Amino acid sequence: MQSAPISDAQATTPRKAVYVFEAPVRIWHWVHALSIVVLCATGYLIANPLPSIGGEASEHFMMGNLRLIHFIAGYVFAIGFAVRLYWGLVGNKYSRELLYLPVWRKAWWRDLWGEVLYYLFLRREAPPSVAHNPLAQAAMWCFNTLLGLFLIFTGFALYSEGLGLGSWADTWFGWVIPLMGGSQSVRMYHLFSMWLIIAFAIIHTYMAIRADIMGRQSSVSTIISGWRTYRD
Amino acid sequence: MPTPETFYEVMRQHGITRRSFLKFCSLTAAGLGLGPEFAGKIAHALETKPRTPVIWLHGLECTCCTESFIRSGHPLAGDVILSMISLDYDDTLMAAAGHQAEELLEQTIEKYDGQYILACEGNPPLNEDGMYCIQAGKPYVEKLRHMADHCKAIIAWGSCASWGCVQAARPNPTRATPIHKVILDKPIVKVPGCPPIAEVMTGVLTYMIAFDELPELDRQGRPKMFYSQRLHDKCYRRPHFDAGQFVEKFDDEGARKGYCLYKVGCKGPTTYNACSTVEWNGGLSWPVKSGHGCLGCAEDNFWDKGSFYSAVTDFGVMGGVESTADKIGGVLAGAAAIGVAAHAAASVVSHMRRDKSEESRHD
Amino acid sequence: MTEVVTPNGFTLDDAGQRVVVDPICRIEGHLRIEVNVDDDNIIRNAVSTGNMWRGLEVILKGRDPRDAWAFTERICGVCTGVHALLSCRAVEDALDIDIPANANSIRNLMMLAQFTQDHLVHFYHLHALDWVDVVSALDADPRATSELQQSISSWPKSSPGYFRDVQNKLKRFVESGQLGPFANAYWGSPAYKLPAEANLMAVTHYLEALDFQKEIVKIHTIFGGRNPHPNWLVGGMPCSINVNETGGVGAINMAWLNQVSDIINASITFVDQVYIPDLKAIASFYKDWNYGGGLSSTNVMAYGEFPAIANNYTNESWMMPNGAILNGDLGTVYDVDPRDPEQIQEFVTHSWYSYPNPDEGLHPWAGVTEPKFELGPNALGTKTNIEALDEQAKYSWLKAPRWRGNAMEVGPLARYLVAYARGNEEIKAQVDGLLTDLDLPITALFSTLGRTAARGLECSWSAHKMRGVFDDMMANIKAGDVATANMDKWEPHTWPTDTKGVGIGEAPRGALGHWVHILDTKLENYQAVVPTTWNASPRDPQGNIGAYEAALLGTPMADPSQPLEILRTIHSFDPCLACASH
Ligand code: HEM
Ligand code: HEM
Ligand code: NFV
Ligand code: SF4
Ligand code: SF4
Ligand code: F3S
Ligand SMILES: [Mg+2]
Repeated sequence: MQSAPISDAQATTPRKAVYVFEAPVRIWHWVHALSIVVLCATGYLIANPLPSIGGEASEHFMMGNLRLIHFIAGYVFAIGFAVRLYWGLVGNKYSRELLYLPVWRKAWWRDLWGEVLYYLFLRREAPPSVAHNPLAQAAMWCFNTLLGLFLIFTGFALYSEGLGLGSWADTWFGWVIPLMGGSQSVRMYHLFSMWLIIAFAIIHTYMAIRADIMGRQSSVSTIISGWRTYRD
Repeated sequence: MPTPETFYEVMRQHGITRRSFLKFCSLTAAGLGLGPEFAGKIAHALETKPRTPVIWLHGLECTCCTESFIRSGHPLAGDVILSMISLDYDDTLMAAAGHQAEELLEQTIEKYDGQYILACEGNPPLNEDGMYCIQAGKPYVEKLRHMADHCKAIIAWGSCASWGCVQAARPNPTRATPIHKVILDKPIVKVPGCPPIAEVMTGVLTYMIAFDELPELDRQGRPKMFYSQRLHDKCYRRPHFDAGQFVEKFDDEGARKGYCLYKVGCKGPTTYNACSTVEWNGGLSWPVKSGHGCLGCAEDNFWDKGSFYSAVTDFGVMGGVESTADKIGGVLAGAAAIGVAAHAAASVVSHMRRDKSEESRHD
Repeated sequence: MTEVVTPNGFTLDDAGQRVVVDPICRIEGHLRIEVNVDDDNIIRNAVSTGNMWRGLEVILKGRDPRDAWAFTERICGVCTGVHALLSCRAVEDALDIDIPANANSIRNLMMLAQFTQDHLVHFYHLHALDWVDVVSALDADPRATSELQQSISSWPKSSPGYFRDVQNKLKRFVESGQLGPFANAYWGSPAYKLPAEANLMAVTHYLEALDFQKEIVKIHTIFGGRNPHPNWLVGGMPCSINVNETGGVGAINMAWLNQVSDIINASITFVDQVYIPDLKAIASFYKDWNYGGGLSSTNVMAYGEFPAIANNYTNESWMMPNGAILNGDLGTVYDVDPRDPEQIQEFVTHSWYSYPNPDEGLHPWAGVTEPKFELGPNALGTKTNIEALDEQAKYSWLKAPRWRGNAMEVGPLARYLVAYARGNEEIKAQVDGLLTDLDLPITALFSTLGRTAARGLECSWSAHKMRGVFDDMMANIKAGDVATANMDKWEPHTWPTDTKGVGIGEAPRGALGHWVHILDTKLENYQAVVPTTWNASPRDPQGNIGAYEAALLGTPMADPSQPLEILRTIHSFDPCLACASH
């Protein structure tokens, strides 16, 4: 495929701004982020409910609402994910980077190592890249693409239990339950994944803001406007 | 020897009138969740068939499946054993012992090759050449394989036969193994539960006999008629769950009001069984109704899914330390946050140093 | 070897014909009995082998002590609940938790219901066919059966027509040629002594008892949510009581309490009008068959059960007392202390386990469960096809428990002898009444029939005791106490880091103890010493034989190829092998 990360040699020459993230990617990014925040908040409270409310059961619908919001956000998350995958096929070359890891490329590994050294303060500058640097791409692929799919599969498998045998969700996702050793295990893995995605979100946000402040290229503004600009 | 009679004839002979026979058929149909039109089909099937031989074997188990079975009220266990099936071997109930008992196995194979139902309670251990369960001097697994070879179909009673159950809990010292992992070439109906509900057991058995076919099974081999929904889907405490009203600890205010048991570990949301609908011992109660959360006893390996008293469960015993997904995950996310903060601080320091050195170069 | 006298006074002689009975049916689990009979077909040597092991004690290690009751409950579904209760007691002892009075009453009610149902099922469905000839019942005159029934009891199901119906059902069942569970048995053997009418009456009650037993356990269903395997709780019971406030429908309320009360009444009626009269009627025909005494005339033991006072597990509180009798001296009853390292010990010299010191006896707090399957040099057959065992070597999946080095018999008869020797008035009245009715001396109790009779008396005692416990509980609720659980020490951080506990009590089959060691909030060691382990015990390093082996000695067999006499005596203990080896 295309979109080799730009090597050191190329990067020494100052560059013009590049249009990296097309509108669908940007919109998706923020919808995605928001749905995750909602899913984590509601999911956590499903696992660890708030202190009980008094009065008649019929007057309250606390858990019901939390679950409803979780499922709606789950749909948003999953549909957004599907749209983003589609865009990865038809969008610009940068949009493809979430779909695969170019592990067969030497340069990719070299730049990955360069990034690691950079973040360990062992190297002054990060190897330049246009969309995602290799480290970010690897992290995105593992913690966004794979983990996202995992959450969708486990989430809809759990969802299928409520819809019942023979429902669409059961047909598509029901097989996940025996595969993972039963419903309780699926819940446990689903919950565990939440913590992984929270860890990812924390690091990712930090990296993005840090890159904006310390790096030679724009970052946060890029995921808002789409344009990558360069300082030197 | 007189020829074996039909199920219907046997029932008539047992003093059951045609009217109560038909009533039995419609009750059976209703009990199985089938429409009234099925009552006629059941009646027809029962009128034309001899009693089906059943061989009931026991491996490693606790016999609670048998105990549950004899609690059946509809139909009565006595009627099942004496009128509906021919229980040709069952070490818990049979009068014969020793070689007279074992002979009956061969006699059944001879007379009913390919026609009898093999009902398995418990499971075979495979370690120590199978000698953790010895019968007539030989490993139980041999008897199981031999009897399975000649049977029509297998019923795996309870969580032992279906999944492995308590003796297969970590570290499973005897390598107790569920039936479907030992017998690969026969249809197996799993009736899990530790034990299963009596009327579910007799319901499944009478269905197979009356309809002469296997009940429809789900992905995991369980009859859909009893195992297609979670307890939570039909739990009468569900309105309290939806409202967010929970028992916080046993015997608190909420417990006396019948609030939801989720926070004290109820596994109803992840357990497929008929407890919340059929209920136990003649529809009298079930675990949740009597104040204790569901243990998940009909689920695969429910023993190793963590505490029975926590909604959020474990990855299990890891090096002696149990850790819930919540705990491990929380630590991971916390570590990420701390790592980020530390890295940010380091970045600021390194940035300041770099600025300084650049400044000094300028000088 | 030919003749050997064991330290506990039995003469063994393995010279004659070896008879193997495997499986012993109509029991729980898998048991093998081998005997040697002499030329007169008298049993001169007996070998009792537990045929299964599941490893519960190994599986429990490292687990949460609050979960343990659910695991141990699955030791047995026949005496369901007893291991769960004893597990709770052991953990509560280790963590110093007191349970509320209502929890104590509910536990007593559940245990009494268990005794009542378990004994009833044992008598009719696991034991009766050793004495009752099903086929002979076909020859009975229903009118005479009706007269017999009416002469011994006021049970209303007693008309000639009723017995004729049952007989007709039975006839057609037999004529169908599909004999089901009655096939290939020993019908017509000269060892059966009942007249046809008594046989028909007993077979009829076999069917009635099968229907009725499921009613008794509904007490478990109400308080524990189901049976088999009701739910329990460390610190009390999980079922809250609410008789007068909002939400009572979701707790133990008046409707359920009334149902419990009705079940108690029905149980008393059934046991007193059906079981006890049947027991007496059958026994009166077998008075001459006075074999099977074994250890019962010398060494018997009971831990005590049914605490009248919550959290008091001593003779001050036990309604069925604790005690041990040695050498048949009913004048001296010793206290049994489960904490004393010298008293209760388990040996594995003849068991398929290994210890660091092979012949040592270990107190359960120091217990080790390490399987080691091997056959002795004199065993016949191969590892996976045993023809005869070598009892000089390891030969059973059961350990050999001993009290101060003595093999002991446990169970209803042992409990009754201890209670009798302790001067318990209720028990004395029951025993003396039965002996007078049958015109037998007290020594007649030391036999297979004595064991069977004690179980029947205890079934009645348990049913009646439920009434008193229930009434006390109602009075307590009326006084305003509705607590069922003490949750003060529920959270592990409130526990000591290193602590041990023991729970003792009585299961239907005898003295049961669970010993726990909790280290850093997890189970470091878990040991159960179980009634059938005592009774079906293999030999110990000194060569003492256990209760089963002892009871078989000296019994004449009518026909060694038909093990009816072996079944009788072994069944009189109500064997449970899943319990015994766990
Ligand atoms: C970032 C993505 C997601 C996160 C962080 C997340 C988190 C959680 C958490 C923490 C729970 C509670 C688990 C427990 O009780 O142990 C949960 C439950 C659940 N989640 Fe998600 N989830 C995500 C995505 C989804 C998706 C895409 C679906 C699909 C509809 C979904 C459906 C469910 C369902 C059905 C439950 C069970 C709720 C119940 O039955 O009460 N989740 N989720
Ligand atoms: C739950 C929270 C979030 C998730 C799961 C998430 C996920 C992602 C993903 C998957 C991409 C790759 C976009 C693509 O190539 O299509 C991305 C890019 C990006 N995100 Fe986020 N994001 C989150 C929150 C944020 C926040 C709060 C910020 C800013 C403060 C942010 C800033 C960025 C930036 C700057 C990029 C571009 C990275 C680059 O230049 O290599 N993200 N994010
Ligand atoms: N032996 C034994 Fe049990 C009893 N009773 C228990 O402790 O049966 Ni399963
Ligand atoms: S499934 Fe449970 S109840 Fe049935 S035999 Fe096994 S342990 Fe007992
Ligand atoms: S008690 Fe259990 S099954 Fe019932 S609603 Fe609550 S969580 Fe669900
Ligand atoms: S523990 Fe078992 S009995 Fe039913 S309520 Fe749960 S499946
Ligand atoms: Mg033990």
